[in-house]
Amino acid sequence: MSMMHLLTHPIIVRDAAVGKSALTQVFHSDGSHFPKGYSMTIGQEICVKSVSLPETSDTVELFIYDSAGKEMFADYAAQFWDHPSAVMVVFDVNNEKSFHSCLKWFERVKNKSSQHIPAVLVGNKTDLMDRRIVTTESAKSFAQGNGMEYFECSAKSQENVEAPFKFLAETFRKMYYERLEVMKSLAA
Amino acid sequence: MDVATAESGAQILLATSSDSGNPPENMIDGRLDTFWASTGLYPQEFILSFTTLVNLKTIKVNSFQVKGLKIERSVQQEPTDFETLKDAELSPSDASLQTEEYKVDSSTAKHLRFIITSGYDHFFSVHRLSVEGSPVS
Repeated sequence: MSMMHLLTHPIIVRDAAVGKSALTQVFHSDGSHFPKGYSMTIGQEICVKSVSLPETSDTVELFIYDSAGKEMFADYAAQFWDHPSAVMVVFDVNNEKSFHSCLKWFERVKNKSSQHIPAVLVGNKTDLMDRRIVTTESAKSFAQGNGMEYFECSAKSQENVEAPFKFLAETFRKMYYERLEVMKSLAA
Repeated sequence: MDVATAESGAQILLATSSDSGNPPENMIDGRLDTFWASTGLYPQEFILSFTTLVNLKTIKVNSFQVKGLKIERSVQQEPTDFETLKDAELSPSDASLQTEEYKVDSSTAKHLRFIITSGYDHFFSVHRLSVEGSPVS
């Protein structure tokens, strides 16, 4: 087994559950900001998170672009649309509007990109049990119908926040090994 | 003669991706079935160094999924003061290697820097580098 350090192209996160308990904010706090040379060209919204996969000797560095509250199809975000490594869509399970806006947004992403992108749908703020509106079933069925993996978490109580990122890291690693097989077969 | 082989003393001084299973030296071992693979993100680059200053004739690159490729040269003893030699956009290849050959007559170099500015996939590979040239006497 080789030692490897994979880097993703920015993963686009659409976090409609903005506010104090936004998922990426929790995530950022134990990640670190990208070195100056890179952030100068891309802007400050990119942060990097290292995910080591204990069952392998590999590490995946996730570059995360948090698009919270911004119009994604404008300005410099456009440059990521060619080859984002993955997409993460976060919604608030207590807010039906945020769920529907995520769905719409994801449709646009899918139509825009030419290749298959690993994607996860994340239902956030599950700590507010009595206010819940979007059911696990309906979110899961939307995710499945669109080739996404579904996760639920609570950024506020730090529950399950690592899982969707770990899933993306594992998917990206798997993709790398699949590509290596293709590369190996080329000169045969 | 091919001056870009490990046999002739050429070296890869630096490469921005390192998967120990597919090291950058694989580009100069004269084989097509071994390769250097990028481990994500663009741009990527590597520097090829010759034992001595050489007169360049052609540079040949066998690769997969490379799109934007910039080749620069340095005539200094240390790899500094690079200037552009070639700026190319490669065509995609489906299930075969990309083969690019550039005529770079009347140029000399001690180091060549290859910058892969973009690709057709998250990952790309470079299988073989060949540089026709001769040591400056």
